[in-house]
Amino acid sequence: MASADKPINTDVPEKDVFALHFLQSLSNLRRQNAFNSPDDTTNNRVKKIKKAAYVSMARAAGGTNRLWSRALLRRAAKENNKVVIFSRRKKRVTWLRRSNRRDPVDAERLRNLLPGGGAMETSKLMEETAHYIKCLSMQVKVMQCLVDGLSAK
Amino acid sequence: MSNRRSRQSSSALRISDDQMIDLVSQLCQLLPEIRERRRSDKVSASKVLQETCNYIRKLHREVDNLSERLSQLLDSVDEDSHEASVIRSLLM
Repeated sequence: MASADKPINTDVPEKDVFALHFLQSLSNLRRQNAFNSPDDTTNNRVKKIKKAAYVSMARAAGGTNRLWSRALLRRAAKENNKVVIFSRRKKRVTWLRRSNRRDPVDAERLRNLLPGGGAMETSKLMEETAHYIKCLSMQVKVMQCLVDGLSAK
Repeated sequence: MSNRRSRQSSSALRISDDQMIDLVSQLCQLLPEIRERRRSDKVSASKVLQETCNYIRKLHREVDNLSERLSQLLDSVDEDSHEASVIRSLLM
């Protein structure tokens, strides 16, 4: 039974790609002396690490190819008062959501959780969600490994 | 998931029903709650979406917790040899 459509690919890179990006982000933070300035509270440090985690995850996995990573990187850049310019996508299809259609409550909740989810078509939302979940769990694994490695005496 | 309306107004590049079914099953594979059920149990679309939201929230919380722990740990680590071995273990 030949299906004309290929299954949609939501593969993510291997763990070491995430690890490399995250470690790079962390060492950048160190270099900027983000951890040692006296007016830097613990909360600030944690926030910076958290942001490094999300940004490095977006770069490792999606870069500019995924709607969620574009939204995440855009948001992060905005917080730094910078502007990100993404290259124009060549596709004729737009995944923008049509405003006259309302989703059930569950889909709305999902849109709020996924970066950039509010603007996506429902079908694209499902694809991006699968990819996002895979990336998040990879990122969590990397961070857990790092914590375990640093905690071992 | 109303695909039919979108198919009326644009090109055939929209996601087909088959692809949608495949995506939903990919999602089900990812969610621990649903993966562990017997295959014969049907899972409603609403349940899949709910579990997805719960799982994403759980992952966000884990990132938060791990960020806090990392913040404490990175404070105290300064020796090159220690960090080098951690990095090596991560990349293996």
